[in-house]
Amino acid sequence: MKFKDYYQIMGVPRSASQEEIKRAYRKLARKYHPDVSKEKNAEAKFKELGEAYEVLKDPEKRAAYDKLGANWKAGQDFNPPPDWEQAFEFKGGGFTSDEAGIYSDFFEQLFGHTGFRNTGREHFNAHARGQDTHAKITIDLEESITGATKTIIFNIPETDAKGYLQLKQRSLNIKIPKGIKPGQHIRLSGQGSPGMGSAQAGDLLLEVAFNPHRLYRVIDTDIYLDLPVTPWEAALGAKIKVPTPEGPVDLSIPANSRQGSKLRIKGRGLPSKKPGDFYVVLQITLPPADSEAARSVYRQMQAQLDFNPRLSLGLSL
Amino acid sequence: MKSSDLLLVYTGTVIEEDSLTLGQLCKACGTNADMIISLVEESIIEPSGENIHEWQFSGANLVRARFALRLQRDLGINLAGIALVLDLIEEREMLRAQIAASEHRHVLG
Repeated sequence: MKFKDYYQIMGVPRSASQEEIKRAYRKLARKYHPDVSKEKNAEAKFKELGEAYEVLKDPEKRAAYDKLGANWKAGQDFNPPPDWEQAFEFKGGGFTSDEAGIYSDFFEQLFGHTGFRNTGREHFNAHARGQDTHAKITIDLEESITGATKTIIFNIPETDAKGYLQLKQRSLNIKIPKGIKPGQHIRLSGQGSPGMGSAQAGDLLLEVAFNPHRLYRVIDTDIYLDLPVTPWEAALGAKIKVPTPEGPVDLSIPANSRQGSKLRIKGRGLPSKKPGDFYVVLQITLPPADSEAARSVYRQMQAQLDFNPRLSLGLSL
Repeated sequence: MKSSDLLLVYTGTVIEEDSLTLGQLCKACGTNADMIISLVEESIIEPSGENIHEWQFSGANLVRARFALRLQRDLGINLAGIALVLDLIEEREMLRAQIAASEHRHVLG
């Protein structure tokens, strides 16, 4: 087991006042809160920070931690001193935690190894309905279009017979309904926390997110595709093949189409009672002038077309 | 017999737009009605329906309500502050999506 330097994690000296510790926590919590932060390791950092604060904000736990001495270095192999358990009455819970905060081995060795007693309201009622639990599920666009079955594995806090919270790994096979949108929820009745006594279990609510797609973007029920076209296809009009998640379709590009024009294929978005649409956004792509033939065509345009794209900027050629 | 035939597959129900009642939202967030009412008063979440008895909440409301409760608990932000944070984060996400879309275009181009 590795030693954890809670002062280092909080970035405060060992002599810091409770007020300083609180300020340091607030500042770092804002930086690493997983809802707000875009730092890569935000979630791990936030957990570590929560653990450090749990110890340092509580004068009793802080005093116990300080007793270990100032010579320990973070990451050093650590075992609690032999008289630890007698010296402090931490074992067997007595802590409250808003969530099933599952802390490090280091923390649990020092302050209790059986997890946290859930002191939530439901324990006053022997037959309370279980709580709803939440998880995220990430799917591919294609899985929404056709519907699919997916297996998700997640850690779920469960209250055991003695009222302790424990993390349990669960795996569930779930039917992904056709046409599900990003941000929608799937409710699985009775798959949440178990109820107390004879009461019903809570529900599991799955929030759906989509993996980024190589070709398509999804906005609500509509699907967008950036489609490269040649200048002559855009200028003269053309019939071209366009990929959609349900297979290629023929699309007529009207003559004189502009860069960024949106063409709509009705009903080819995400399926639902009111199906979304499929939008093609034209990206006019210039052929490279990398041969004499190509250069000669460009020169011909230069010579024959009276075209000034900067007219609106108030400049002459 | 395919191996998938042996699996137990759960079929859930999709929470459609504006289909959660106040009670369901409370339960889903693990909070009480007073708290949800405060979130509505701060217009952090906006139910449809004329009065409290007819309130209907969407899945997006559920996401915002849980987000607000976490921020309140973890960062000690008051409701007005949370409303501002939520709006700014939503704006940031939108801008990020636009940047991602324009980068995507460069890769394909």
